[in-house]
Amino acid sequence: MDPEVLEDWARKLRGLMTLAGLLFAILLLRLFHLQITTADDYAKESEDNRITQKRLKAPRGLILDRDGEVIARNRAAYSIQLIRGSRESDAQAIAALEEATGESVKLGKRGRERTVRLKRDVSFPTVAIVEERLRDEWPLDVEIEPQRFYPFGALTSHLIGYLGEKQDDLTGPGGRPYIAGDYVGQTGLERVYEDSLRGWDGVGYLEVDVRERVIKEHPFPDRERAPRPGRDLKLTIDVDIQLAAVNALPDSLAGSVVALDARNGAILALVSHPSFDPNVFVSYGSQAERQRLIQDPRKPMLNRGIQGGYPPGSTLKMIASVAALESGVTDTLSTFAACAGSLQVGDVVFRCLNRDGHGELNLLEATEVSCNIYFNHLAQILGIEAWHDYAARFGFGAPTGVDLEPSELSGILPDRRYHQERDGWVTGHLMNLVIGQGAMLVTPLQMARYVAALGNGGYLVTPHLQGDAPPPVRIEGVSDATLDIVRRSMYRVVYGDHGTGKRAQIEGILLAGKSGTAQGPRADDDAWFVSFAPYDEPEIAVAILIEGGGGGGTHAAPVARAVMEAYFLDQARHGAMAVDLDGRHRGGS
Amino acid sequence: MRRELDLGLLVAVAMLVTFGVTMVYSASGSDVWRSQGLYAVISVFVAVAIVYVPEKLFYDLAYPLYGLGMLSLVVVLVWGTGNPARWLAIGSLRLQPAEFAKIATIMAIARFLGDQSSERVSGPRAIVLAVLLAVLPMGLVARQPDLGTAVSFGAALIPMLYWAGMRPLHVFFLTAPMLSVVFSFEPLWQDQAPIVFALFIILSSVIIQLLLARLWVTLTLLGVNLSAGLVTTYLWANFLRGYQKARIMTFLNPESDALGSGWNIIQSKIAIGSGGPTGKGFLQGTQSKYEFLPAAHTDFIFSVIGEELGFVGSIFVLSLFLFVIWRCLYVGTVANNRFASLLAVGLGSMLAFHVFVNVGMTIGVMPVTGLPLPFLSYGGSSLLTNCLAVGLLLHIYAHRHEY
Repeated sequence: MDPEVLEDWARKLRGLMTLAGLLFAILLLRLFHLQITTADDYAKESEDNRITQKRLKAPRGLILDRDGEVIARNRAAYSIQLIRGSRESDAQAIAALEEATGESVKLGKRGRERTVRLKRDVSFPTVAIVEERLRDEWPLDVEIEPQRFYPFGALTSHLIGYLGEKQDDLTGPGGRPYIAGDYVGQTGLERVYEDSLRGWDGVGYLEVDVRERVIKEHPFPDRERAPRPGRDLKLTIDVDIQLAAVNALPDSLAGSVVALDARNGAILALVSHPSFDPNVFVSYGSQAERQRLIQDPRKPMLNRGIQGGYPPGSTLKMIASVAALESGVTDTLSTFAACAGSLQVGDVVFRCLNRDGHGELNLLEATEVSCNIYFNHLAQILGIEAWHDYAARFGFGAPTGVDLEPSELSGILPDRRYHQERDGWVTGHLMNLVIGQGAMLVTPLQMARYVAALGNGGYLVTPHLQGDAPPPVRIEGVSDATLDIVRRSMYRVVYGDHGTGKRAQIEGILLAGKSGTAQGPRADDDAWFVSFAPYDEPEIAVAILIEGGGGGGTHAAPVARAVMEAYFLDQARHGAMAVDLDGRHRGGS
Repeated sequence: MRRELDLGLLVAVAMLVTFGVTMVYSASGSDVWRSQGLYAVISVFVAVAIVYVPEKLFYDLAYPLYGLGMLSLVVVLVWGTGNPARWLAIGSLRLQPAEFAKIATIMAIARFLGDQSSERVSGPRAIVLAVLLAVLPMGLVARQPDLGTAVSFGAALIPMLYWAGMRPLHVFFLTAPMLSVVFSFEPLWQDQAPIVFALFIILSSVIIQLLLARLWVTLTLLGVNLSAGLVTTYLWANFLRGYQKARIMTFLNPESDALGSGWNIIQSKIAIGSGGPTGKGFLQGTQSKYEFLPAAHTDFIFSVIGEELGFVGSIFVLSLFLFVIWRCLYVGTVANNRFASLLAVGLGSMLAFHVFVNVGMTIGVMPVTGLPLPFLSYGGSSLLTNCLAVGLLLHIYAHRHEY
């Protein structure tokens, strides 16, 4: 070519190469910025991409009865998860899931999480559909999480309570926060012991691809932290006794059974009937059932043992006995003005159960036949102050401090002021109170504690469901001699010729008790029976209440018997088992 | 007759192609590298074979090939497959006519401009005809739509016009309105757009006035620039649909919709950035292996290189490309006729444009256009076309002493 042309081309080559050099310099600078200056930031983002931090849910502590029977445990539950992509792909995946399962799925607010839980605690067929048909094509996954399960269902529901999803307030006790959707104790022991039951969650890492498929299980073993399971909760409850109590209660009537270790207040059984299956509250898709339970007029959710307030009826008469004996109003043998079947105090006529009158009675006889007039006479001499004083010493009108519900009922123990502030004081009020009527309200748990104190030599125990027993407190101003007489009177209720509580008798074991037939707000009287056994060294104290159950001796006493029988059978079995194991051990060696 | 091969160019290209197959192997994690390898062998063979084709043939075939290329672009608009439809399926073979149309168009422009004297090229008639030769395929490709490829025709045309004799001033006049569009584009500069645009208008006018001292030229330029800028602003404000604006905004700020259309750019930047100075190691790229990076073995092959081989690997690849581009343009200066020289410059410019746009895309300085990275991206049509171009360059070099 022409030298001139060649020179022109060479010049233009320099021009074009300068331009190309400039453009490449832009690329180079940018690459330097990405790969040298800010490389660490991108390395972090790359790691965030492929590493998924996984919360390793700590299994919740088990709840066991006193023999180690599991009352609350964990089962595996399956959730369907969506691995988020674009808005459209999310919607498509959800549509595919809806079509495959025939159920509607709601996607909540879009957060920053890469996975969203679509359906919780799904049925096995749904898991199978997702695993076999949907997972390969759609960004869906199945996650396993521990879910609470109560094998005894309704039997222990009022004690154990149940769990519910934490949604709004995510603070926990001791500053340990929750994550939305965590299950936390809503009622009962699940709530009271939430902090020790929940355990400490761990952290794990997974290396995943863009669809959250796991590539490597433990990419950072050093950074992982194993979950610490929640502490197991061993209860004083015995499910065998609990079961015996439920079976003994009439199914059609509401009622409650409380059985305490008379020596230390350990609760052996606490039954409230009707009950509910707590699994309904932790399983998904039971919304309707939950709604029905909450609206049920029979109030199955109410724990009648500690939240039900009832007039105690004649079971309260021992308060008057103790007060009268302590203040010298009477002794064992003295009789009072004879019972003529009725007594007029002021304008009101009080009637005895026996309309013809019991005639002359001493304290033992009066308790045996549950003569109202006798106790009215006693009360007239005692006065409201003395009676109220002793009733308060036996724990009425105050919560027992059971470690179950902050909403435990105090009941009502009226005094003179109580009536003055409302309807004015008349002695007639005392006439009602002394026989457990009028404004007096108690919980079955209070009654069990009261009867335990009568049996155990005057010690007021603190009812409790787990752990060491709080030391029982000796009730002041109640002598052994007084208690001995009262115990004898209660013995005659069960074994006396005219005793109202004969139906509580158990073969081979002596016991004492007191029946009550209280007029409550219901058409039919509430049936009560309180008792302790064995008579000489009481181990178990029982309070039975049946709403509208009628006569306490007739209807409540057999329930008390069943409960105590179950207790002694259990004790015998444990004794026999110990012997058995011993023998086997010797034989083997 | 013994031909002298441009060994530098051949070796550099062979390195790029080999490297490409290797990285496709790493990026795809499947067997696609085998077909890429097969294409590579065929392509290099074709490139060398072209050296032995008589020179006259290319000159003679320039216009017929151009016609054939345009026909294939029309055909693909009607019977194309894929989404968007860019491929022609012939049996099991899938071809991208646009790739071959690039070479055919460059050949046609090279022949047209080569036939004109330098003086003629500085006149408007030759320029308009040359521009028309480029605009026809641009329009057809843009209809697919494939904006990146469409623009690449223009990117090859302008250096060729300059090379053929168009005055730098005219080149400037041709490109200034395009730059006006860029500088007046509101989303790019946001609040600063009026200032940036005003600065560009004033500076360009002052430079032209100082260089030429001819008021009417300056005023013409000013008018052209102003109207281009104002039209852009007006179109942006009134004519673009919401989703169209969104697409453009995504390019400018990919983080605004991390899971949507900005995903590719973000993941590509993460891949390259996380590679650091020396990379995660061959086959160790988690962004591509775990599929965070889409189209890893095709459009985003450079991201895989950046991730696995780091800054060192990126520099290596860019250096090879710069060498090849220089070699192309150099071949243009030693060619024995205007046609061959222009052909070399056109092919070199086309290559430079592809490299800049593709690499720029992976590091977020260019929009996502779907332009492949020459020699490296998976895709037979692209590889074959680029090797054809190299073959032509080898041919021009080998025949440089013939008259």
